[in-house]
Amino acid sequence: MCVGVPMKVVEINYPMALAEAKGVKRRISLMLLPEGEVKVGDYVMVHVGNAIEKIDQKEAEEIWKALEEVIEAMEGGS
Amino acid sequence: MDRIRELVNLIHSLAPKDKKLKIMNVCGSHEHTITYSGLRSLMPKNIELVPGPGCPVCVCSESDIINAINLSKRDDVILATYGDMLRVPTKVGSIRSSGGNYLMVSAPHEVLKVALENPQKKVVFFSVGFETTTAPTAALLEMGVPDNLFILTSQKLTPEIMEVLVNDSEVGVDAFVAPGHVSAIVGSKAWEIFPKNYGIPTVVAGFEPENLLLAIVKILYQIKKGKAELENVYKGVVKPEGNRRAQELIYKYFYKTSVNWRGIGYIPDSGLELKEEYGYLDAKKVFNLPEIKEEKVPGCICHEIVLGKSYPTDCKLFKKVCTPRNPKGPCMVSHEGACNIWYRFS
Repeated sequence: MCVGVPMKVVEINYPMALAEAKGVKRRISLMLLPEGEVKVGDYVMVHVGNAIEKIDQKEAEEIWKALEEVIEAMEGGS
Repeated sequence: MDRIRELVNLIHSLAPKDKKLKIMNVCGSHEHTITYSGLRSLMPKNIELVPGPGCPVCVCSESDIINAINLSKRDDVILATYGDMLRVPTKVGSIRSSGGNYLMVSAPHEVLKVALENPQKKVVFFSVGFETTTAPTAALLEMGVPDNLFILTSQKLTPEIMEVLVNDSEVGVDAFVAPGHVSAIVGSKAWEIFPKNYGIPTVVAGFEPENLLLAIVKILYQIKKGKAELENVYKGVVKPEGNRRAQELIYKYFYKTSVNWRGIGYIPDSGLELKEEYGYLDAKKVFNLPEIKEEKVPGCICHEIVLGKSYPTDCKLFKKVCTPRNPKGPCMVSHEGACNIWYRFS
């Protein structure tokens, strides 16, 4: 439950937002970031459905590259 | 790949020749990367990469889980919690095996919908974890919750348990790789006490193998220079001050207190409970939940593994009677538990 996932924000209705990663959309909360800090198109690090930090696109892509291996391994595991 | 080879070569050239070093990670996702990517096998023989208390499921007190099970058996209650918690064994079974009214959620705000759709029920959110889950629970409370929603808290604090470890001579930590996403909440500054007060090099790292190896290189440089400093190689996500708003929200709703770590016992100021003024939300108070005496699982050494005193392979139950399908102890349940990770990848 502590795996963080970078997502792109596609719609905002503060404190809630719609975010997307790898074609999957998810309703997330922006409550942990001040209103106005995140704009549509920004990337955020998401933990249990909450954006905990704004990150840049390059960082998000690098994390995803590593994460894909982890997710694949988890699905292949128990 | 070249970069990885370069970092591994650097680690070999920097590693002290004359002594053993214990480098501890305190994050299930770090342990996952280390084991899955085979980083241990790339280390010089005298460098031990030790998994520490990075699995919240593993240290959640048995009493809290049994209280959650008992709540889920009430006709008027729906218990909601993270998937990892459903299969954690206790002396009375797990939440799932008890067959009560339970629901898996992947975000705290999902329980709002459950509460609104079930006004005749009391919805209890069993909130377990370290700072990365405490902040989202505080965010949920800040959104405002319906009258039929309650919180059963089992929240723990990472810097505080790390301080317990450095004071335990049996553990003997030489350096810390600090957890990336906990750091995003608490700030890299939260680890300053380790180099400053205890002379322990501490480097905040992300979750890619390259980033973790870089953290180890930084640690070895410090040791070679005879220094202990705080460094951060995950700057794209972690700020020195962390997420101030998350910190404010956590301490708006919760206060630091002594909490029970499974198999370890009560540790002062190592966890969070809801403040007195939010007692009406606190499932422990509303349902008058008792403290239930813990019973150790015979043979299970999860509590020693969590503290970095033993490895999963030191346990007599590991891979024999204790498996991810049939976990005997909490370290085998969660994807963040060292036993579960070692079972799957080593």
